[in-house]
Amino acid sequence: MAEAAVQTRVAGARVRSRMRRRRSPLGVTGRYALLVGIALVYVFPFVVSLANSFKTDQDAANNPVSLVPKTFTTAAYQRLFQSDLPLWLTNTVIVTVLVTAGRVLFDSMAGYALSRLPFRGRNAVFAGLVAVMAVPGVVLLIPKFLVIKQLGIYDTYPGMILPMLADAAGVFIMRNFFESVSPSVEEAARIDGAGVFRRFWSVVLPMSRSALITLFILSFQASWNELPQMIVSTQSPRLFTLTKGTAQLASGALSAGSQFPIKLAAATLMTIPVAVLFFVFQRRMMNTTGGATKE
Amino acid sequence: MKITRRALLAAGAVLTATATLAACSSGGGFGSPAASASSSAVSSDNHQPLTILIGTSGDAETNAVKDSVAAWSKQSGTQATVNVASDLGQQLSQGFAGGNPPDLFYVTNDSVATYASNGSLEPYVTQLKNKDSFYPSLVKAFTVNGKEYAAPKDFSTLALVINTDMWTAAGLTDKDYPTTWDQLEQVAQKLTTPQHVGLAVSGQFERLGVFMAEAGGWLVDDNGKAAASSDANVQGLTYAKKLLSEGAMKYSSQLGAGWGGEAFGTQKAAMTIEGNWISGAMTKDYSSVKYKVVKLPAGPKGEGTIQYDGGWGMASQSKNKGGALDLVTYLTQPDQQLGFAKAFGVMPSVQSIADQWKQQFPEQTAFLDGAASSKSIPSVAGISDVIKNFDSQLDGLSSTDPKQILDKVQTNLQALPGLS
Amino acid sequence: METVMARAAGTTSAPARSATRRGPGIRGRDGVAGWLFTAPVLVILGLFLVLPIAMAAWVSVSSWSGLGSPFSSTVKFVGGANYAALLAKPGLAQSDFGTSLRNNAWYVLLVVPVQTAVSLLLAVLVNRRIAGQGAFRTAYYFPSVTSSVAITVIFLFLFSASGTVNAVIGWLGGTGPGWFTETRGVVQLLLQAVGVHAPAGNGFLGLTWFDWVAGPSPAMLVFIVMAIFTTSGTFMLIYLAALQQIAEEIDEAAVMDGAGPWKRFWYVTLPMLRPTTFTVVTLGLIGTWQLFDQIYVGSKGGPANTTLTPAYLSYSQSFINNAWGRGAAIAFILFAIIVLFTVLQRLALRERTPRRRRSHG
Repeated sequence: MAEAAVQTRVAGARVRSRMRRRRSPLGVTGRYALLVGIALVYVFPFVVSLANSFKTDQDAANNPVSLVPKTFTTAAYQRLFQSDLPLWLTNTVIVTVLVTAGRVLFDSMAGYALSRLPFRGRNAVFAGLVAVMAVPGVVLLIPKFLVIKQLGIYDTYPGMILPMLADAAGVFIMRNFFESVSPSVEEAARIDGAGVFRRFWSVVLPMSRSALITLFILSFQASWNELPQMIVSTQSPRLFTLTKGTAQLASGALSAGSQFPIKLAAATLMTIPVAVLFFVFQRRMMNTTGGATKE
Repeated sequence: MKITRRALLAAGAVLTATATLAACSSGGGFGSPAASASSSAVSSDNHQPLTILIGTSGDAETNAVKDSVAAWSKQSGTQATVNVASDLGQQLSQGFAGGNPPDLFYVTNDSVATYASNGSLEPYVTQLKNKDSFYPSLVKAFTVNGKEYAAPKDFSTLALVINTDMWTAAGLTDKDYPTTWDQLEQVAQKLTTPQHVGLAVSGQFERLGVFMAEAGGWLVDDNGKAAASSDANVQGLTYAKKLLSEGAMKYSSQLGAGWGGEAFGTQKAAMTIEGNWISGAMTKDYSSVKYKVVKLPAGPKGEGTIQYDGGWGMASQSKNKGGALDLVTYLTQPDQQLGFAKAFGVMPSVQSIADQWKQQFPEQTAFLDGAASSKSIPSVAGISDVIKNFDSQLDGLSSTDPKQILDKVQTNLQALPGLS
Repeated sequence: METVMARAAGTTSAPARSATRRGPGIRGRDGVAGWLFTAPVLVILGLFLVLPIAMAAWVSVSSWSGLGSPFSSTVKFVGGANYAALLAKPGLAQSDFGTSLRNNAWYVLLVVPVQTAVSLLLAVLVNRRIAGQGAFRTAYYFPSVTSSVAITVIFLFLFSASGTVNAVIGWLGGTGPGWFTETRGVVQLLLQAVGVHAPAGNGFLGLTWFDWVAGPSPAMLVFIVMAIFTTSGTFMLIYLAALQQIAEEIDEAAVMDGAGPWKRFWYVTLPMLRPTTFTVVTLGLIGTWQLFDQIYVGSKGGPANTTLTPAYLSYSQSFINNAWGRGAAIAFILFAIIVLFTVLQRLALRERTPRRRRSHG
């Protein structure tokens, strides 16, 4: 039965690539025009922030949408690099790596269990998951701080990392992803007598690469950009992350001017790693068609 | 429906856990609530290190404060660390809730009542040796229910900022700086061209309120009771409405600007009403614009403006109040304040160096001159919501009866504790 | 652990297990494994999310003012007073809350359907094998990773009175509104254009009925556009993952009945994507009802409170006014609204599901 499924799948993929070329609702030109048009709109804000990060404060305040700096300057970047940027970067990388690893593993395990492993209380767990997402985070800042402090992990790496190791939305995404996947492949492994852990590890996970990569990218992005949690869990400058450091650099009253260049330079620096990562990994999403049974 | 019932059950289970946690905590981490702030003299262990939390306007301010604190630290032998807040409000709230707030921190006169109302602030000002050197109006701005909560560190007032090129282009000279409402109206009309409007202000009470003050009104009367719907206030807003309807004045938002300074800096307006923070913004963002600052014109009841005050708040939970008191005394000394003024352009809170400051910043004298006739936002908890609501009504001032707006403000004010 | 699993497995016979997936597993090895698999998440979320929620719930019925622990002996239980101030007692607190709900409701109503449709469109567009596919995908994902400060700054400029958008409207012969100054709702503006004016009358939560239907203000409309712009990339990702997974099944179906591309999309792809749509709509509902960051950075609720949202109000009540109880109460009323909406949409999506996946098993 598994063999047959593989056959159909491979055949299907071949048919598909032929069909795609034959039937397209729009002409090729039309489709590209649409793709390029949307892409330009979507990249625009990034280009504007990149351009403005090389302007002087004056220029940025007066001509924010111009894409060409009047006088090209790297002052904003110099100021960023003169600060504790290397330290902030190190902390951000530590947090991001651990949090991303934790989330991908724990969220997918829980998502799998909620979708495929019938256990008592499963519905309650799922309902609870949706419920906790529904409480606005802003009201939880102080209580979360009190919990972190009570556990004795305030102003430490565990305090920064532990609370972020799992997220309800990630579990929710994975659970619903497994719901949309046909359980037939796994069923075959089950008949072969594979245990739950083996089934999950060697059948389900490899088959879910596209969803795992999605979760990976979302987790990376979330932990890389996290600010409120960092304010809640730390105070010493030694534990500053990029977001906390730049938030502080760019803070200030009206008298400090608008400081667009430094804010946007920080935004640009923080955007690029996520964008590069996405570019690299999105390719792998495509190659998963056929999942475990291919290759 | 199932979801909610289960969620409730789960919540119940968690509540139990929370109660347990709370029980454990009473002995340890959370600590007991702070001792009543009103009691006895400031006294404590003078060797406990101090932490100071500031919301900075930039490196200049950060470094100046750090240097001063370091100098004090060396002199007193007490360790002191200056931290720069990423989000001052949140970090203070965490400190107060967790029982370890910074010993000293920035407060503004419109937030002092909020922190004072729950006992977070130590009313230490009476014990300051240099208490009498401050402008009395500043000390008053930090007074809540008769207690003086924060030593003023600097302040700002609103004044009239004029684009000198546009001024000359309209055929106006130094003699034409407006000193009355009528004159302000006339020059604003003259300065209005298709390219720019005569006067631009942020459409908020925090700016338009100057007209209420100049007409002899204010949100509260001399006894501190709500008085928003007074005739004087109606007169003030009616004047502002007239300027708006003539087109001589516009809200900065109508010009696509975030605040008056932006409308002024981008040359969409020839005049604006702003505080001395505008000089920093002009230098950094709009240095090509030449401008002059003059006092606001007098209204029917004389001169009037609004002041905004910064001060040093001391946590009632501080473990070294003696040291903190000593540090505040040091930081508010005339020579320190003059140093801060030079470093980041604030107006000192002590009267004795007013002349030195004016010599240092001749172009900004009008701001300091305003101190004599300025009013501050009443320090009452909950006032910010009332003002926000007021602001949103002022948005429609050009098409609304000022009396109607002020009546609603009066109702809202009367709902606040102690104002009715 | 292994032995426990083995013993548990011994209680059910192999054929029974494979025949019905849902029956005996509950007590069997799947049951234990289910709890083991969810344990890490449950512990972390329990400690750092559920516990804080419970504390916030206590705060919402207490007199806590922000000084010291909310569990100290000086903090009193005040019952439903904080909730009553918002829901039952006429005054500033009530009308501010009513305004924030009105604003946010319009935001949700417009953002959720559009962002779902746009992200699906994007996913379908870049799912095909085309030259430059990676670049297009990355481009569409860009607004999702660019900092919210940067995007907010740019949008504020684009939509300023003399900004790009109004310039374009000008070329087209129209007059753009003052995006961040106009305080009337867009529905109201349209009605006034045809001569209908606001009637006086009763209302709900301190607002007249007309206030409720007046529509989002132009400023809120800008945030609506911005939300669609910044979230569609993220949701595109989720759709993309699902499209990849079901690709071959779609083709099988299509080959069988020889359907055209539109038909195939409508009758095959879309129904198969239903769990994903459930994900996207649920996350969308939750995210939009909690609108905070953009307001905090961009407008602080202005102009004239037309972009005030419950989450921002909760923040300002707590952190600016020290009215922690009321701030928490706002959050829990919002929580109830979100749960209600989630349950409703779950029912709506489930109703039309013809149980297609089960037929595979």
